Amino acid sequence: MLPHLDAAYTLARYLTHDASEAEDATQEAILRAVRYFHTLRNESGARAWLLAIVRRECYGRRRKIVETVAFDEVSEHQLVDVAEQPDVAAGRRLLEQRVRVAVATLPDGLRETLILRELQQCSYEEIATITDVPIGTVMSRLSRARTRLAASLEGEVTFEEEYG
Amino acid sequence: MTPEPPRSMGALLREALPSYKAPDALRAWAQTQASSAPIAYDRPRAWRPLRRFAYAATFVVAAAIGWMGHDLVAMSRTDATARSALVSSLVDTHVRSLMAGHVTDVQSSDHHTVKPWFAGKVTFAPPVPELAARGFPLVGGRLDYVSGHTAAALVYGRGLHTINLFIWPASTSDADVPTASYNGYSLVHWTDRGLSYWAVSDAAAPELAAFERAYIAGAAQ
Repeated sequence: MLPHLDAAYTLARYLTHDASEAEDATQEAILRAVRYFHTLRNESGARAWLLAIVRRECYGRRRKIVETVAFDEVSEHQLVDVAEQPDVAAGRRLLEQRVRVAVATLPDGLRETLILRELQQCSYEEIATITDVPIGTVMSRLSRARTRLAASLEGEVTFEEEYG
Repeated sequence: MTPEPPRSMGALLREALPSYKAPDALRAWAQTQASSAPIAYDRPRAWRPLRRFAYAATFVVAAAIGWMGHDLVAMSRTDATARSALVSSLVDTHVRSLMAGHVTDVQSSDHHTVKPWFAGKVTFAPPVPELAARGFPLVGGRLDYVSGHTAAALVYGRGLHTINLFIWPASTSDADVPTASYNGYSLVHWTDRGLSYWAVSDAAAPELAAFERAYIAGAAQ
């Protein structure tokens, strides 16, 4: 599991929007993974298996705290991340911030699919396993996520046609 | 403003969205979990050869002591027990410093800040070389207490790993066994100009050996 620790933590960051929540969720997920390690049939599937546990843990935790954390606070965490970025050209930084906000405000199903595909470079099969939906749904979610992103960034940037 | 050329969405996403590194404390904790798992397929490979080396070293030391006579045997048995207690408490202190998120009391990559901080807190002046150019950036320092020693702990980074370097005045009893491993952590020990050094990290043993060389070279400058 250790080789996939960063991948697990990264997914948790994007699903919880919060560094310490992500740390807690990853820790819980590893505890579970250690406990149920014997159920893992194939080591090559270890990453997808761990990410699936992380995902369930993140959503489980969020249901618990959803009443106490307003959406505004979630957005603020996003801005903290922006402030942590090292200095880059202001225009590019602004665009990157828009991208982060656009991704953060995608519905869960679209965001997790997009992150797993574009950031974690998971295959469609792996994403289907992790998010527990058929491959056809993975593909349509990916397409919808890209269309939404392009729409919310309209005027800022134009994208190459690369759907499929 | 001229219109920008069309961009690849995938490339822009990878630029804009950071991939995060798990915090050191979480990594250290995960390593302890992985090494106690029924089928830990990552850690054991990393430290089994080291452990074999430690056994071999222990055997050589025991054989040498046996040749030197019975009185010494009795004496060194207690030494060996004390040493393994020291090794485990060094690793415990290392792990605790990462878990508590309290790695440094003085956090600075500037040795002119870290070195004076120890003045008046310990009765010796540990060298604080800057080793960033050798791949070990200085993170900071703190005071610690290890097995009856008030120690200056210097904290250096190595990629994602944290190295705790514990320093206290050397005594004749601790000048042996240069390397050890415990629970998957590596330790390196040396003495130099009256000070005893123990470096502890989850980094691989060769990296820790490289750290020892870099530190000694840096301290001599």
